[in-house]
Amino acid sequence: MIEYLLLTPIITGILCYFTKSRKQVETISLLGSVITLILGLSLVLDVYRNGIIVTWQNALFADAFSAYIVLIVSIISFVSSIYSIGYMGYEINHNVIDLKRLKMYYVLFHFFVFTMLLVGVTNNLGLWVAIEMTTLVSALLIIFYSNKASVEAAWKYVIISTVGITFALFGTILTYYAAVKVLGETGDALNWTSLIAVAGQFDPMLMKLAFIFILIGYGTKAGLAPMHTWLPDAYSESPTPVGALLSGTLVNCAMYGIIRFYSIATKSTGPEFTSNLLIIFGLMSLGIAVPFIILQEDYKRLLAYSSVEHMGIVALGIGFGGVYGIFGAILHMFNHSMTKSLMFFSAGNVLLKHGTKEINKVSGIVKTMPMTGAILLIGGLAITGSPPFGIFISEFTILSAGFLQGHIIASVLFLLFIIMIFAGFFYNLSKMTFGNPKPGVTPGEVSKWTLSAMMILVVFVIVLGVYIPHDFIEMINKVVKVVM
Amino acid sequence: MAEIVFGSNTMQLLIALILVSTFMILGSTRLYSCVRAFGIQSFLLACVAGVVAYSTGKDEIYIIAILTLLFKSIVIPYFLLYLIREIKVKREIDLYVKISPSLIIGGVLVVISYYLIRSINVISELSSFALSASMSLVSIGLFIMISRKKAIMQMLGILIMENGLFLGAISLTNGMPLLVELGIFFDVLIAVLIMGILIFRINKTFESVDTSMLKNLIG
Repeated sequence: MIEYLLLTPIITGILCYFTKSRKQVETISLLGSVITLILGLSLVLDVYRNGIIVTWQNALFADAFSAYIVLIVSIISFVSSIYSIGYMGYEINHNVIDLKRLKMYYVLFHFFVFTMLLVGVTNNLGLWVAIEMTTLVSALLIIFYSNKASVEAAWKYVIISTVGITFALFGTILTYYAAVKVLGETGDALNWTSLIAVAGQFDPMLMKLAFIFILIGYGTKAGLAPMHTWLPDAYSESPTPVGALLSGTLVNCAMYGIIRFYSIATKSTGPEFTSNLLIIFGLMSLGIAVPFIILQEDYKRLLAYSSVEHMGIVALGIGFGGVYGIFGAILHMFNHSMTKSLMFFSAGNVLLKHGTKEINKVSGIVKTMPMTGAILLIGGLAITGSPPFGIFISEFTILSAGFLQGHIIASVLFLLFIIMIFAGFFYNLSKMTFGNPKPGVTPGEVSKWTLSAMMILVVFVIVLGVYIPHDFIEMINKVVKVVM
Repeated sequence: MAEIVFGSNTMQLLIALILVSTFMILGSTRLYSCVRAFGIQSFLLACVAGVVAYSTGKDEIYIIAILTLLFKSIVIPYFLLYLIREIKVKREIDLYVKISPSLIIGGVLVVISYYLIRSINVISELSSFALSASMSLVSIGLFIMISRKKAIMQMLGILIMENGLFLGAISLTNGMPLLVELGIFFDVLIAVLIMGILIFRINKTFESVDTSMLKNLIG
């Protein structure tokens, strides 16, 4: 099952390379991502019903948490590939790219999806290998337009992420060493299932050091401040559908790595140490995002800083701990993915129409593109945490966990920061959506493909704010059990 | 096992030589000699792996030693030399920090690493020697990345850091499980390839591989 899930995007990518026309490559890409989605969903159902799956000589496995990551990756990659048809199609119609580049784009796109799925289903600390692979593949996607800005963004991204990831490798080695001391030198000493069982006996001093390295390492990829500096560049210079994948799923994959190690380290060092670190990094991310969101001039970078903010919130949720904190954080990962991808998609439509990323050069979207404008407003309300959308519920859960667990100062700061971010974000967004349209912008939507991708996400954003299905809550509860 | 292996004089000599090769990179202003010193460092690392493999008698570690010899000390340096020739870069490297302060900072980093590793509980005195060397390599690699302007030197810095971690892994636990080691190897190779592609692109778009040009995206 897991093998097929992993093979699908690889085969799709290879097939895309051998296509002859635009129609073919689009059909194959769409078909591939539909199959990935179906396999992903059936894996989720399987894990949900039957518990942990282990295959391929124990190297691949899926528990509730892996399944959750697979769920997010397969949904976002599915809508992204729908959106790509519209977005890249528009660019090919306007001669921004040619067929060869388009094919390359789809090849890399599906390889990127493969690496992210691999992060979810790797059974051991070798998770590192998968996360490093995501960096390498996505760097080629960021450099896609080959202009000065994208080259700079890609170089910064590769260098900063690779250094970060190297620290994570050091943390991984230390954890392995701690495990070997208890388990002896077996191949199993890196597997989650065997690690969690004996994590209580690990040397606390060693695990503290390991957790610091892991948090800095994977935190770099997750975009936690102050290691977030690559993130706005990479998000704003990559093609928009890739931006959605980066912000919607890649940061979650990195967060997944941190949370896995959090569960191991906490068992050995006690909750105090790990929680405090996560709370500090979380608050720092929120705090740094505030001025950059208020004073932002580039709307794609605005969204990027909003990702820094939201990863900070997830870190805070895990840091606050308790059932509510972790539940909120896990739910927040899902909500953030859906909402942020939606925002990137609408921003992509705006970019295609206006040809600029500057907030001041865009206005009156509601008049020129009524659907995109409306979705941009809905998404904007949702991403800043206003009711009745999904993010409001998860943020509220995390906040109440903070007060419940007695982290009063951190919770008050959290509240203060998100209020300021709400004001800043909406100030910038309203400049873009309302007012008179800029001259020279022809009214009308970009394409029905982009709109249909956005409609799928709007459903998630709105429904999860009003009503969370019982099965979904059950699923998150299972994830919480894995983490705690 | 690890104690016996790392107690041997050969091992101590090898680790000391690895540190020396790192300082050779730190003290050189010519790209070619930096790459060559990196090749020597990787060769020594392969020897370390070879000694560990010989004394533990594990086939897995032999594989790792051979791969290190093949890729890190031959293929990657050749690739780097090819890169330098192709992009016709000026052979001298530009520095943010001059050579003599660089060497002093390198020395300080070694001392700090030694004390840091002493503070955690490691099996024995001797494997902690290897671990502190590994920590020094990581920090010096990082320092090289931030103090040199050429993109190729930043790439070399990452490779030095990776070598340091390799030394750490093999000295602490006789290496990670084979599957993970192979995965890491694969990633390093791909990373070198992709950074090579990026350097070509930087050279093409900016007509230089000086990373101080890359500062337009801010805010």
